[in-house]
Amino acid sequence: MRMTSLRPVAALLPVFTLAACSPGAGDPARQYGPDPYLPEAREYLLPPMSVPKAIDWKAGEAPTVSAGLKVEALATGLEHPRTLYTLPNGDILVVETNSPGTEAYRPKDFIAGSVKARAGAAAKGGNRITLLRHADGDGKPELRTVFIDHLHSPYGIVLVGDTLYVANTDAILAFKYVPGVTQITSPGVKLTELPAGRLDHHWTKSMTASADGSKLYVGVGSNSNITENGMEVEEGRAAIYEVDRLTGAKRIFASGTRNPTSVAFEPQTQQLFAVVNERDEIGPDLVPDYLTSIRQGGFYGWPYSYWGNHVDVRVHPQRPDLVAQAIKPDYALSSHVAPLSLLFSEGQHLSPAFADGAFISEHGSWDRSPLNGYQVIFVSFMNGLPVGKPIPVVTGFLGTDNETVHGRPVGLALDRGGALLVADDVGNTVWRVSAIQPGS
Amino acid sequence: MLAQNSSDNPASSSDPQGKQMRRPIGLSDAAAPLHGGFIGAGAVLLIAAFGTDYIYYTTALWQWANFSAWLITAGLILMLVAVLLLLIDFATGRAARLKTSSFILVAAAAVLSLVNAFVHSRDAWTSVVPQGIFLSAVSTILLVIAGARGWSLTMSRATGGRP
Repeated sequence: MRMTSLRPVAALLPVFTLAACSPGAGDPARQYGPDPYLPEAREYLLPPMSVPKAIDWKAGEAPTVSAGLKVEALATGLEHPRTLYTLPNGDILVVETNSPGTEAYRPKDFIAGSVKARAGAAAKGGNRITLLRHADGDGKPELRTVFIDHLHSPYGIVLVGDTLYVANTDAILAFKYVPGVTQITSPGVKLTELPAGRLDHHWTKSMTASADGSKLYVGVGSNSNITENGMEVEEGRAAIYEVDRLTGAKRIFASGTRNPTSVAFEPQTQQLFAVVNERDEIGPDLVPDYLTSIRQGGFYGWPYSYWGNHVDVRVHPQRPDLVAQAIKPDYALSSHVAPLSLLFSEGQHLSPAFADGAFISEHGSWDRSPLNGYQVIFVSFMNGLPVGKPIPVVTGFLGTDNETVHGRPVGLALDRGGALLVADDVGNTVWRVSAIQPGS
Repeated sequence: MLAQNSSDNPASSSDPQGKQMRRPIGLSDAAAPLHGGFIGAGAVLLIAAFGTDYIYYTTALWQWANFSAWLITAGLILMLVAVLLLLIDFATGRAARLKTSSFILVAAAAVLSLVNAFVHSRDAWTSVVPQGIFLSAVSTILLVIAGARGWSLTMSRATGGRP
């Protein structure tokens, strides 16, 4: 009884000490791969943060690419470009989009709003898809048109047969696609609704299709960092859905994935993979974002635990039964990098080093100091699983002072010539990264 | 007879013209301090945050934790206004001197509540339990003790040195 009465006092002590002795962030290299270093979770009065100020690319400035590659701006002046998709005829679709806007529930939410504005994340999205036709490969599109307009925070996009599916934040729309068209004006037909609602905290709906085209897979993010908006609004969220393409019937394929921002099939094994953005505010090195294969019926921990069975004490009531089932992800990408796109390389167009594996864009966040991410990496695969250390491919989005940011990489795609396309939603640019041809 | 009776009144010797007797009680050239009401209003909100923290603790319904965060923020803003008015009270001569014990009680509650605002900016359960509700409870005890002595933190000239 005496011990119990003292417990609140003991719990309070860290409050007054943590501002003074907040440990620095560790080396992100320790947190790549299947067995990342995981420090003890901590709670803060002010979580470690660093908000880079968004400054436009000047004329001639561009991200840095690894040896043997060159980079050029394929399109500029876009409205918050996020997802990229290459159609079979080589036309490139750019989804220009941002959050539908969330409501401020707490004093903290107003501060978060000003943080986003400084970092260039609050810009209004175009709510449209722009088409770039770039057949001659000279780095300058011959044609640029508004392909589909008046969408509602679109994100995922996939073509199956002659139907183009666009995942708005609240529904999948189906559009008839005729090869070669440069504009679709007919309204889309709703295939199925997706969890959205008033709050819609993690609003992006990433999407891909199975190889036979019968099923669509949709990543739906949580409605909070760690259930601070109540459990009711998490119904059907933090999950990957399987949608029957013909009927629109859907079910939860896997759950506990906090924010699965990109889903893609590994080309050799046809295994579904996802990159997932993990939770914030328990330390600069927690929790690592990850790349993982997605098992049918699998539970990946959120909100109750992370990286397998590491319990998150911020969730109440806790669920030890679910923690016991939580699957440990395949490959950690280090903490607060915010992976937003997963693109399997499908061959060695850029470099022999990129023959088998996946490009991953790390959008970067402000929930860590020093910052982490803000680059495109390549993770090698062997026998259908990620292995080894990642290779940085496109860097230099962040200023050398670590306090300014010119761009943030989001969507990735390969164009028909095998060049890597990178959408940059702060620089409002699509970058094209290609191999330097011998003799050019 | 009348002259003898008036000499029995002790006031008459120091105030032969009886001016003090003619001034209505409670009026003064010096105005009352401005800050007291804002201390009280801020304290009410900070105390209410303990109530909403307690309900969150028993129900785990997230909106009660949000209420606490807003109550603490608004309570601190009113306390900040009170500090500015307290300075004005001293600058304009409304306040004579500080009631040290009341000041310490309220100042301690305000500092703890400032820390508590940051604790409540955390996400979900641990924004309240255990540190948040503990700070709310301590602030509440301090403010109730202070409130029992009246919300003004100063002796004022208007009341002849009394609170």
